[in-house]
Amino acid sequence: MVSFDIVAEAGEARRGQLRINDRTLETPHLFPVINFYGGGNEGALFGGGVHRTVKEFLTHDNEITGGEDYSDLFRGVMTSISSLADYGIREKKLDWYLGNEIREWDCFSDYNGMIFADSGGYKILKQGGLEGQDFEKDIDQDKALDIQLALGPDIVVNLDHPIHPDDEFEERIEKMEQTAANAARFAERRDEVDGACYLTVHGYYEAMLERSFDLIEDELSEPIPEAFDGIALGSLVPRKDNVEILVEAVSDCKREMQQRGYEDLPLHVLGISGNAMPLLVAVGADTFDSASYLHQAINGKYCVNLFETVPIDEANFDSCECRVCNDDFHRARMRNEMEDLYQKDILGSVAAHNLAVQQRELRKFRQLIAEGDKERVAEYLEEAVKDQKGFRKFAYQLINERINPYFEEIDTTYA
Amino acid sequence: MHKTPQVNEVNEFIEIASDFEDPLEVIREALSNSYDANATQVDINIEQDDEGRNTLVIKDNGHGMDEDDLSSFFDLGNSNKNDAIGYKGHGTKIYYKSDKVRVETVKDGTRIESVMNQPWAKLNNRELPTYSIDTTDVDEPSRTRIEVHGFRAGQGFDPKQLTYNKIEHYIKWKTIGGSTAWYFNDDFHEMEIKVELSPSIDDTQDPIETDNRLKFPAENLDPDGEFVAEEMCKHYPPQELTVTLDDSRELTVEVVGMVGGKEARNKLPTYGKHSAQFGIWLAKDHIKVERYNDAIGADNEFFHFFFIANCQGLELSANREKIRNKSGDVYQAITDELDRFMTKVCQDSWYQNYIERRKLEDKKRSIQSQESTLEERLQRTRDEGGLSPSNPAEVIAALERYSANGAPETVRIADFQMDDEVNAILETDNGFENAALHVKLSDFFEEEAALSHIDRLICWKLGDLDALTKIERSSYLGEPIRFDFQSREVHYGGDTKRTIPILELADSVSS
Ligand SMILES: [Zn+2]
Repeated sequence: MVSFDIVAEAGEARRGQLRINDRTLETPHLFPVINFYGGGNEGALFGGGVHRTVKEFLTHDNEITGGEDYSDLFRGVMTSISSLADYGIREKKLDWYLGNEIREWDCFSDYNGMIFADSGGYKILKQGGLEGQDFEKDIDQDKALDIQLALGPDIVVNLDHPIHPDDEFEERIEKMEQTAANAARFAERRDEVDGACYLTVHGYYEAMLERSFDLIEDELSEPIPEAFDGIALGSLVPRKDNVEILVEAVSDCKREMQQRGYEDLPLHVLGISGNAMPLLVAVGADTFDSASYLHQAINGKYCVNLFETVPIDEANFDSCECRVCNDDFHRARMRNEMEDLYQKDILGSVAAHNLAVQQRELRKFRQLIAEGDKERVAEYLEEAVKDQKGFRKFAYQLINERINPYFEEIDTTYA
Repeated sequence: MHKTPQVNEVNEFIEIASDFEDPLEVIREALSNSYDANATQVDINIEQDDEGRNTLVIKDNGHGMDEDDLSSFFDLGNSNKNDAIGYKGHGTKIYYKSDKVRVETVKDGTRIESVMNQPWAKLNNRELPTYSIDTTDVDEPSRTRIEVHGFRAGQGFDPKQLTYNKIEHYIKWKTIGGSTAWYFNDDFHEMEIKVELSPSIDDTQDPIETDNRLKFPAENLDPDGEFVAEEMCKHYPPQELTVTLDDSRELTVEVVGMVGGKEARNKLPTYGKHSAQFGIWLAKDHIKVERYNDAIGADNEFFHFFFIANCQGLELSANREKIRNKSGDVYQAITDELDRFMTKVCQDSWYQNYIERRKLEDKKRSIQSQESTLEERLQRTRDEGGLSPSNPAEVIAALERYSANGAPETVRIADFQMDDEVNAILETDNGFENAALHVKLSDFFEEEAALSHIDRLICWKLGDLDALTKIERSSYLGEPIRFDFQSREVHYGGDTKRTIPILELADSVSS
């Protein structure tokens, strides 16, 4: 049972409720990327360094959370099948990992959030498959789905062939055709999925997206909304630092969905988070996923807000409102003031903080959309980017063109 | 024991008077003082006698001066006008650089006549000049008349360099005469200003008659015609921006401005090099001080803009030429807020449209000039009976093969110029044709090359069809365009439609 209900709108931004079986997610929402399998065994939450610490937050391990409940940071998470082989595991171990669904392991049995199982198209295609210490597996759509389903996911997505901005036209078409063929095969196995099926589309602007949708529709034997529960827009990661292109892609995808009558489907943006999120929500994106919170921590960076990071030892924890920073236990950890701390424990707290910063912004945004006042949305965006010189140009452009024109309503008769 | 630093009063006077180098600053001081005195009319006369000596006469109908006011007028740093424009009380010391200052002023039925003789000569003799005071009761409205005889400034006050144009520009750009206060209504009162030069200085024009309101050229949002961008003009009405400092003090920045093409901007009272005059101005007392063109960023050219951002939090040097507190947080906060505001202006749809239109019109102009050079090239090509290819681009080689392989028609390159938009002249069965020859057709269109004089498009491959479709949807150089990939044609234009055939070589050559 999958449903997506729009409960409020402000301009093109929307707030929704995504229900999959008995789990509900308020959107817009960020799915943090989690690596459930890090080469280890169940007793150690399957290991994975900082990934493990994050899992300890997710499973509410008192020793790492200091007794606090941080599960709201993980209402929905993204995990990729390509990460299964991240630690050079042996084939026997992979089979063992896939022997139980994630929630069937004792250690994850209390986790009650949604699991979005990504096909890992980008990574798998780059490596040519799944590669461990003693095995190499070619991955096609069927094998990808088999592995996804073995995880016990709430959302699955077809194996896609992401395009690249530098692709020649022919190369791009070929990838889109392969993605479309995969989508068709995926749709044939729809009944095996006890949850939501998402369809990936690719493109940076309307003409490309139109082609992507056309190719998929040509391959499918039924209309997209009957085969799929959501749309996932991919291939944006190489362009993650160009917010203008991101906004155009999401906004054009949204328009394409409207024109085809798919506007009731949730739109997920693959691999993007951080400072672009508010703008993408403003043009209608519903969910996101990203590992940036974790990578920032691993690189020793503490998020001051969506735009700025500082080295951990320069962070001012007192000026952060998040629960991680307001907890003496975590502050002591992040300051490296405790005995025998592992690096992964310090960075784990930082990662949780980084994630909290992003989740907090989306929570604010959900409240704003609930008020249904697009002027407030514009104000919020404007305030958020006020000190971001390069960025605010695009934010102001978006506000001016899509939400609230800056100079049109002003009375020009004066003194 | 405490000691008070000693002030050498004579030197102080000399230094302050010497701070003022530009003779026009006399006019600025006079206008500010008259405005502070609530005058509604001020007349300035500048005369020159046969021996080159200058006399300035400044008359206003302000509230006049009593003896205390006169002390402030003559004394150093003794002004009681705290919120007034000449608040330092230094401005009037510029009059000391003269042979004689005579003040005649009426306030509350008392007339004072005051004369200071040889102030400059005395100061240079290490002597403080004195002034006389004669008081009489009169029955007439208040007023002030200041005469400055034998005035000199900087390298000597050379009135020959003065013209009405220069003075009017100065009044509107550097004095209360160019005030933007009236847009904001705060304590503004109107003042008529008249400046007359003796005919020996400038007899080319009538005296200047203006007021103390800086006005923008009329709005012209969407003029008719083919080349109109230069006339376009939009006002950005007065806005008060509030800036909060770290210590939670609040400042107000009052911004008003316009965006416009050259014709529009030329209607502003400017003189000399225009590029030095447009852009974003920081102002105090609503008088422009310095430009801060950084506010519009590198993507935009400052000369489209004329904005004045007034903030009383700015502190100026004594001669008002520079902002003194540039390194402080006040300046930082003001300019940050101005950056944000100007970013919004730059994202305004009208502005974007204006820039787009300018670009298009520039393009059209270059097409018109292209026409004549193309004509010449064509003539030359005809005269010489067709040249062999001068540029061994692969596409040309392909074209040769295409023609040699029994193609339906013979197409040969008669002339090729690498960087021209119309880079090829073809010799075909039907005579000469202008062509654009590219490896990928989509490259040609992504470069926004003009189609006007192109009879045919030649490419190795069409290239990125999505990119072409994107162009098709957003219009091309302001005109509708349609790509017919099936029949290899481009349909271009609105009212006058053209069809341009595409010759795609890849398939026909390789098969
Ligand atoms: Zn925090």
